[in-house]
Amino acid sequence: MKKESKFLDYIKIILVEIVAFFLFLFFLKIESIWIVIAAILLAILIYFLSKIYKEKFRALIELFSRYQNFAIGVLFILLIIYPFISPLIITHSTYWMLILIQTGIYIMIALGLNFQLGSTGMMNLATAAFYGIGAYTAGLLALKLGWTALLTIPLGGLAAAFAGLLLVIPIYRTKGHYLALVTLAFGFMLVLAADNIEIIGGPQGLKNIPPVNIFGYNFLTEIGSLHFYTNYYYLVLAILGITIFIFARLFNSWIGLTSAYIRDDEPAAKGCGININLRKLLVFVFGNFFMGVAGAIYAHMIGFISPPNFQFAQSLLIVAIVIIGGMDNILGVIVAAILLVVFPEKLRVVTEYRIFLYGILLVVTLILRPRGILPFGPRKYDSSILKFARKGGS
Amino acid sequence: MAEEKKVIFYTEDIEMRFGGLYALKNINIKIYENEILGMIGPNGSGKTTFFNVITGFYKPTKGRFYFMGEDLTGKEPYEITRKGISRTYQISRLCLDLTILDNILIGTYPVQKSGYSDAIFNRKKLIKEVKKHTERAVHLLNIFNPDLIEKLFVPVRSLPHIDRRRVEICRAMIAEPKLILLDEPSAGMNADETKELMDDIEKVRKEMENVTIMIIEHDMKVISSVSERVIALNFGQVIAEGTYEEVSHNKEVIEAYLGKEVANG
Ligand SMILES: Nc1ncnc2c1ncn2[C@@H]1O[C@H](COP(=O)(O)OP(=O)(O)OP(=O)(O)O)[C@@H](O)[C@H]1O
Ligand SMILES: [Mg+2]
Repeated sequence: MKKESKFLDYIKIILVEIVAFFLFLFFLKIESIWIVIAAILLAILIYFLSKIYKEKFRALIELFSRYQNFAIGVLFILLIIYPFISPLIITHSTYWMLILIQTGIYIMIALGLNFQLGSTGMMNLATAAFYGIGAYTAGLLALKLGWTALLTIPLGGLAAAFAGLLLVIPIYRTKGHYLALVTLAFGFMLVLAADNIEIIGGPQGLKNIPPVNIFGYNFLTEIGSLHFYTNYYYLVLAILGITIFIFARLFNSWIGLTSAYIRDDEPAAKGCGININLRKLLVFVFGNFFMGVAGAIYAHMIGFISPPNFQFAQSLLIVAIVIIGGMDNILGVIVAAILLVVFPEKLRVVTEYRIFLYGILLVVTLILRPRGILPFGPRKYDSSILKFARKGGS
Repeated sequence: MAEEKKVIFYTEDIEMRFGGLYALKNINIKIYENEILGMIGPNGSGKTTFFNVITGFYKPTKGRFYFMGEDLTGKEPYEITRKGISRTYQISRLCLDLTILDNILIGTYPVQKSGYSDAIFNRKKLIKEVKKHTERAVHLLNIFNPDLIEKLFVPVRSLPHIDRRRVEICRAMIAEPKLILLDEPSAGMNADETKELMDDIEKVRKEMENVTIMIIEHDMKVISSVSERVIALNFGQVIAEGTYEEVSHNKEVIEAYLGKEVANG
């Protein structure tokens, strides 16, 4: 009896995910702007339906959170088969794959920022600059020294982390929003510097950065009839999976708790014995690492980087993703990244007004859901803690 | 009597000046091990400032203070907390959007052993630790208000004032400090709640037999019922010290309070 209902639950999850997956694919397929707008209206309709059928909707969410690992597993399988299915449905599947990879890279950066801003309350307005440090480090190491991506990618991350360390140490003693100002200035300075330093290419940037080549497997190799981007798709999927795994574990740990306390009430956190400065330093450096890694992957994939790729507008996009997604919520960040990166591609007619669109989205979310689409929920640490507490602690 | 007891904490000529204002002046106070010490004084007499100084939030402009024989002057709040002094705040400082459990567990910070790598790679160790502290949190909640146990994963925001205060007291207790400082725990409570709170303080005492408690209070009922010894402050200076009977009959103390009432009237 019980086994049967569990089986049914699994089937339900699989069905819901497959339907969502194909809806997404068809959304990518449609070309006409009017149908896109119709689809957006449909999404809004679904949103209101979810308000009306609250109970059913809640039961569905409950189902997914109960079998969280299973649901994530199914999603991963769908994402793994995506490259093989999408050419059958979508006309410009290579282009959309590139967009999805780009989305994955943005999610990584945004998760790094979410750890700083969402979890700990540290504003970082130079995410694009740190991403750029990762990209330039990897690009230079690969170009000038011929190092393998196995080294350049982690070193790109470390370089961004180290830059973060140098930036945060001097502002230990300052309070409030200085960090936002300092990172803002740093971002501008860095782009300016990259523009003017000849050995790193100046305004021309770095060209012909070699592709990832791991254990003799060149990422320019096509997989059957699939574009070579597919290699990077899987690389980003794998690294993103690890990133999500790490940040989910950190959220459900003392680290996540300590960070949240620093974010919500710094004096109280001090009074609980927390060395605020040290904690903030670690959080900043750790978050930056992932931005650097993302930049390194990007550099290898595109093969060409230049200062405009890392401008303030990019940082702003990342901040918008974290704020719209919901502070300190990994799923929220992912949803917002898809919303802000994939959807505008559909509205190419309005590409020029993209920043305007972000602004509107930001304002609308702040009015409708001031704490983001999916604000953080209770920290559960582990299912065993939850069970223990449910039993009334005996 | 009290003189036979061991001094756990003492200050030497503490002075705290804000510009031209002496919030504390020539403060020489001893706290004996295992006692419940009350501190009274009119508004603005420097009581909270005293707590802020000895927990490292303010650096005194003069003087030193010692805890268990160690000079803690100039130390940061986190260092002082780790030595075994914990506190609550006059205006309660909880993270309202975090759960009851989180708000208590943060108090275990000084004894937490799992860091980044355990959180990511060694979940067994981390979860074992979380479970141990959660058990303790449940135990403490059970003492004050068993109803709260069912709400472990509910944000503190939804709780009434008195329960928030209890969560704050649990947070201060959970790391087993040697000295607990309570800053006007009855602030903002009605008479019934204040009575419950007095019982709660007795419960703290029962639960942690060796703990020393210092409590700031406006409410004379609370002070007279819970504290074994009382210190009175006025304009940043100690004006009386002794049992509640002695202090409450002290002429200067009466004047300080009457003066205040006259001024307010
Ligand atoms: N950070 C500060 N800067 C300037 N003045 C301060 C500061 N903190 C406290 N004071 C002043 O020090 C004096 C003592 O304040 P304190 O908060 O210690 O009083 P209190 O005895 O706790 O009063 P209450 O009963 O109202 O809580 C007041 O005059 C207050 O204005
Ligand atoms: Mg006070």
